[in-house]
Amino acid sequence: MKIDLLIPGLPAKADHFLFGICSLLLIRTAGRTILFDTGPFRIRQTLIRALKELGLAPAGVDTIFLTHLHWDHVENLDLFPHAEVLTPRTEFEYAAAPRPNDWGTPPYVREILRDMHVTLLPDQEQEIFPGVKTLLLPGHSVGLQGLVIDTGDACAVLASDALWSARDATRGVPDVAFFDPAKAQSSLDKALAAGDLFYPGHDRPFRLKNGVVQYLTQYRYELSFPFQPLGQSFGLGISTERNMSVENL
Amino acid sequence: MNTTSSPITVLFAGLPVSSDNFLPGISTVALVQTNARLMIFDTGPYAYRPILQGRLRKLGIDPGKVDTVILSHVHWDTAANADLFPNATVVLHEKELAYADASDSHDDETPAYVGRALRRLKLKPLSGEPELCSGVRVIELPGHTPGSIGLMVGNELLAGDALSCAMNAAAGEVRYLPSKNSSACGSLQKALASASVIYPGHDRPFRVGPPITYLEDYAIRIRFFTDPTGPDEEIRVGSFAAKSFASWPTD
Repeated sequence: MKIDLLIPGLPAKADHFLFGICSLLLIRTAGRTILFDTGPFRIRQTLIRALKELGLAPAGVDTIFLTHLHWDHVENLDLFPHAEVLTPRTEFEYAAAPRPNDWGTPPYVREILRDMHVTLLPDQEQEIFPGVKTLLLPGHSVGLQGLVIDTGDACAVLASDALWSARDATRGVPDVAFFDPAKAQSSLDKALAAGDLFYPGHDRPFRLKNGVVQYLTQYRYELSFPFQPLGQSFGLGISTERNMSVENL
Repeated sequence: MNTTSSPITVLFAGLPVSSDNFLPGISTVALVQTNARLMIFDTGPYAYRPILQGRLRKLGIDPGKVDTVILSHVHWDTAANADLFPNATVVLHEKELAYADASDSHDDETPAYVGRALRRLKLKPLSGEPELCSGVRVIELPGHTPGSIGLMVGNELLAGDALSCAMNAAAGEVRYLPSKNSSACGSLQKALASASVIYPGHDRPFRVGPPITYLEDYAIRIRFFTDPTGPDEEIRVGSFAAKSFASWPTD
């Protein structure tokens, strides 16, 4: 049983666009290579590179666990046309006609899933592979499901957006209770009680020691804003690395 | 914002930003209002959706009243919100629709499902350079994609990614978002020769000049946190018109 972090979620927002960079994980167990969520289109090449670093082509992913059908979790499904897609039945049925004010679920998401090998997960918790159990976490979306995985030395909670960031854990309140705030609150409480190692939807994995967040990884993004038409550009880095060197920007 | 009486209102000014680990996809979305028509040129990436809805609301634009959506091309960062306008006819080039449908031959900018998503809508594939209404005409600008188009509004051009930014205009070649297609450079030249003001696919509108002059400033704010118990960090990047230091920063 192995959980690899392909891309850490990024808890960032902009006034011009949504980042939507969610945590993408690779779980390898019981002869299965399982991709946990597929991310927004904008990280497609990063996902391909991250898989390659683990010695995998997209065709090497045989299973996709799709926590919910928001845009930023589904936009790269077409990279994996031969994979079995496990996704909650509640999400799939709801997506046929999303609420008009639900901008998270693309009204065309069923077209993204069309002709794929979809296995619908019932509204009840179950062990889908040895040591891999589903966790019902509705509220952020209509029927979000996460996973609880016994890795041998930790009980990992892959909560997706039911635990949007580590801030949800320190505040005890869901930051992005998108669909049903009351359910989102109980799902957050449930996720935090379900294990000791947490993979949030849009933040880095962390452990909680006496309520204090201990992140397990760093992240770093560089942006270049050109000031044209003269061609000069302005480099900008977002990073949690203390020793980030300015010269590289 | 443009203070002339142009029928074009920029909803999102594009920005030619690049990043090491994600595609920003900050593309231009514009509204074209004439006496008879209400049109949207490009719809941005899905990541614009709630902000686009908010900006339309602020302008008092009912999405149901938009009669035409023009897609310059079908990349992930231009065509993702065409479904927001329930009564609109979606205009795109017939070659672009064929490209959207051919999901096997896609490049790194076009998801395989875009054709299926678009086919749910009321499509009007076109060829040639028809006039959509008085003073508003389609212009063929292939190269960035097989069926890239622009929209001439008077002597102003909504160029899509055939002319993605002012740097390409200044260079006279396609440096940002380069294309393998040999017609891309010809389309860039055609765009420059066609208009006095250009709204690029990933940049602010500019006067063709010479000299090339931007018509607008921009500012973008990014918020994030590194410490979950701490405050948000905020980065503000922009290009601002020169002001007197006497009143800054109180203004």
